Amino acid sequence: MSNPIKKIMVYVDGTEQSVTAAQYAICLASFSGAELIAHYVINTRAVEDLLKARIFLKDEQVEYEHDMEADAERYLNYINELAIKKGVSVIKKRSRGSVHKEIVDSIEADDVDLLVIGELSRIRSRRDEFFDETERAMRAVPCSVLIVKDEDRVWEMYESLV
Amino acid sequence: MTLIDLVAEKIVKIPLESQDKPDILHELVQILKDAGEIDDFDAVLNAVQDREDKQSTGLEQGIAVPHCKSAAVASLKLAIGIAPQGIDFDSMDGEPTNLFFLLVASPGLSGPHVEALAEIAKLARSKAFCKALVNAENAQEVVDLLKGK
Repeated sequence: MSNPIKKIMVYVDGTEQSVTAAQYAICLASFSGAELIAHYVINTRAVEDLLKARIFLKDEQVEYEHDMEADAERYLNYINELAIKKGVSVIKKRSRGSVHKEIVDSIEADDVDLLVIGELSRIRSRRDEFFDETERAMRAVPCSVLIVKDEDRVWEMYESLV
Repeated sequence: MTLIDLVAEKIVKIPLESQDKPDILHELVQILKDAGEIDDFDAVLNAVQDREDKQSTGLEQGIAVPHCKSAAVASLKLAIGIAPQGIDFDSMDGEPTNLFFLLVASPGLSGPHVEALAEIAKLARSKAFCKALVNAENAQEVVDLLKGK
């Protein structure tokens, strides 16, 4: 049987959980030989909503989008460095829009076999207002999803990778 | 990280004691200080006031969302204050403000900051829920309401 996982996508959003997910994805890519994509979504949809709600000023919209572009660059470069250290190539992908929609579209467009995401919020509310974009993506993508837990264990696995 | 992860009794104050906008901002930042969430009180207060000076974050229907970026914090910080009597906060509709959500973010965490603000914006659309928060009798009740208990 050939390797069922040929293309892995890890979703990176700057949180510690997503960095741990990236370390796990790097290990997986190394073990399996799968292609690895690191995807950061600049949540312009949320920024637009904040402008409409008048929580943001126009200046803030521009400033935050600029900041998020810089965050995307920084975190994707960091993931790339983590991968290079372990001899793994990463395709850095950055898009703008609604997070869950961009992830789903990207999974479909790139024909990804496995989405790797960080640990979801431990405390959940029954209130619909408190949704998590990553959780929404997890439910909507057509491929399998791997939720990475246990930061210490993943770090050890990453560190032991030669 | 979602907004709900930040909600805890120690970052909720009910009722707020201040009677005007500058004092409310001071009291909200003090909540973070008292909760051990920030060290540099002045840096955070100045950043919140600077943003407020550009345009009030007092929205409609009694809600205000003061927010700022500050290098004085390493992660996203939330404080919730409730003033059942209502405070003049230069709101968009000119009505008194009862419900205050203060968000302070590290400059390098714009994404989570934006998402947390968006969650508050969604929350603010539910009049009934905001009314329940304003009518809460103590911090624990506010936490329970927000966590859907």
